[in-house]
Amino acid sequence: MFSKKHRNRGPSAAWRIAVWPTAAFAVGSALAFAIMYFLIAGDIRARSDAWLVGEAETLADVSDNTPRDNLYDRLVQEVAELATHEVSDPNLTGDRQQNSVFFLQTQPTEGPIWVGPAPRERFLQAIQAAQLAPGTPANVSVDGWRLPFRVVFRDRGKGKGIYLGFADISGVHMLDRLTERCLLVWAVTVVLGFLITWAAAYRTLARVERISDTVSRIGSEDLSSRLLEGPHPDEISRLSRTFNNMLDRIQASVHQLRVLTGSVAHDLKSPVTSIRGSLEVALSEPDRSQWRERVAEAIEGLDRLSQMLNTTLDLAEADAGALQLRKEPLDLAALIQQMVDLYQPTMAEHRHQLTTELQPVLVEADLSLMNRLIANLLDNEVAHLPAGCCVNILLQARDREAEILIEDNGPGFPLELRDRVFERFVKGKASTGHGLGLAFVDAVAKAHGGSVTVAERAGGGALISLSIPMVEVLREKVVR
Amino acid sequence: MRLLVVEDDTAIRDFLKRGLTESGYLVDTARDGKSAEAQAGEEVYDGFIIDLGLPDMDGLDLIARCRAQGHSAPVLILSARRSVDERVRGLEQGGDDYLTKPFALAELVARLRNLLRRSAAPQQEATRLHVSDLELDLVRREARRGTQLLQLTTQEFALLEYLVRNAGRVVTRTMILDHVWRMRFDPATNVVDVQIYRLRNKVDEAGNRPLIHTIRGVGYVLKEA
Repeated sequence: MFSKKHRNRGPSAAWRIAVWPTAAFAVGSALAFAIMYFLIAGDIRARSDAWLVGEAETLADVSDNTPRDNLYDRLVQEVAELATHEVSDPNLTGDRQQNSVFFLQTQPTEGPIWVGPAPRERFLQAIQAAQLAPGTPANVSVDGWRLPFRVVFRDRGKGKGIYLGFADISGVHMLDRLTERCLLVWAVTVVLGFLITWAAAYRTLARVERISDTVSRIGSEDLSSRLLEGPHPDEISRLSRTFNNMLDRIQASVHQLRVLTGSVAHDLKSPVTSIRGSLEVALSEPDRSQWRERVAEAIEGLDRLSQMLNTTLDLAEADAGALQLRKEPLDLAALIQQMVDLYQPTMAEHRHQLTTELQPVLVEADLSLMNRLIANLLDNEVAHLPAGCCVNILLQARDREAEILIEDNGPGFPLELRDRVFERFVKGKASTGHGLGLAFVDAVAKAHGGSVTVAERAGGGALISLSIPMVEVLREKVVR
Repeated sequence: MRLLVVEDDTAIRDFLKRGLTESGYLVDTARDGKSAEAQAGEEVYDGFIIDLGLPDMDGLDLIARCRAQGHSAPVLILSARRSVDERVRGLEQGGDDYLTKPFALAELVARLRNLLRRSAAPQQEATRLHVSDLELDLVRREARRGTQLLQLTTQEFALLEYLVRNAGRVVTRTMILDHVWRMRFDPATNVVDVQIYRLRNKVDEAGNRPLIHTIRGVGYVLKEA
């Protein structure tokens, strides 16, 4: 259901990806073609202008040096005709070729000599209107002619002038053919380029599409599906792998969460049962003086329950990285000593010997969390040691870390628990706690950038070692 | 002393009203921020107890509004959340103390009494405290039962001083840890009970009338008989 919805989601990004490079390519190649066109056109014109100027000079010489007799007009006319034939393009039919060149000689007394297409009046009018500067070829448009003529004018003085005009039809045709082919090649490459870009983008995006389909299915249905990572170790494969890693973590967290919720619910059952029991007994008790005892029991049960809830919440916060630390410089030795003073009488009640070897060490830590951390470690000792044991707390600075070692000569951690003591709800068979104490110690140590491990003490017993970065180290980490 | 309790949960509101009335206060209640504001405008209160999770507005906003309207009576904040950050924010916004749910009624009453005393004229600091034939010399840090000097450690003296200062009133284990050891946590072990037990052995030695009494399910009280 989801995948269908996703496939019909309108224009693909492949279009957008393909359009821009294609447009850039089209504009760029069009510009290149245009530059080429103007260079060639300029070259053709320069060549025809050179011919015009030279030929006009020759014709002017002929017209000046030919004796003025009856044959003068004929002679000039024939030389001019010969000259106009020089610009011959064998591809053009004679007619058009003839039509592309004209010669005009104006004379002060006689009528003009004209060699060129009819009607010559139009040409005369156009030339008069153009008012040409002598020696420089210029464009002159003639009525009825598609192309303007390049006309050069040579002033021979005394009202005599020579005009040679040339419409470069073959040049224009060549340019037209060039333009046609260029346009064709341009259009084909642009379309082809667009198609190739689009296809490549489409293929790539199709893989992204598959990822999003799979991910949306995972979100709505189950967490066990994984993305195909593809044979090439490219960005999209890496994306898939990142997603898969993320899914692995999410699945693990969800699994852990289910287990936890189950454990919490299970651990809530027994205190709730006992509280309910106490109150029920109180209700059915006819002797009102007995109520007090039952209600007190119930309240004590509730206190234990709320303590467990608080620790569970703290651990959840620590897991979410939301444990808010209010760090301040702490004299760890003083803090531990204070805690030991608080616990000493209780230890004595159990006939334990609690000794300390404390070096002054300054750490930057959350006072309340560190208090609870030490308390949890001591609670742990009280809860698990048989009567008459020795507990030693050692605090020392080592490698810019404050190291706290708590060792006892009790039975030590059961072997099967040793790797899991910092997981929550893990507790020994005989334990009456809720299995959160050491998990909390672990969470607090980690939140402070430290660590905690357990080991067998040499000579029997448990050894818990805890390290918390000292002040200098913490500062350096912040700077880095 | 008239108090206004602002709490949307009916069960908690009723239990607060009952508990505080028994402790001798006149108690009005409001179930949301709007009606609390209206009531605060009509009546002069000596103290407010405000839950942060109100249906119509954030309790912190209510405190800020009350302060803006010139109510200077102390405010005790109640909250289900336990983050230190929120506690600090609550105190910055004009709250005077902060209590997280679930709490013991004894602790709430004790904190409230502290707040109300603080807002009244400061008392002359005593140098000696008496309960029955128990006498504490706060300057020399000595305690006597009748004529006999009690051999107390520094901690035991601090604990006894706290109990004597609250003579006749129940104090919880949390309150003891907070005030005597400056720690806010619930130990899984009965450390406070053992400390009290040891202190009691010294204070209520054979032949003396017992002064330190256990209130099961709540805490301890120091009083005659």
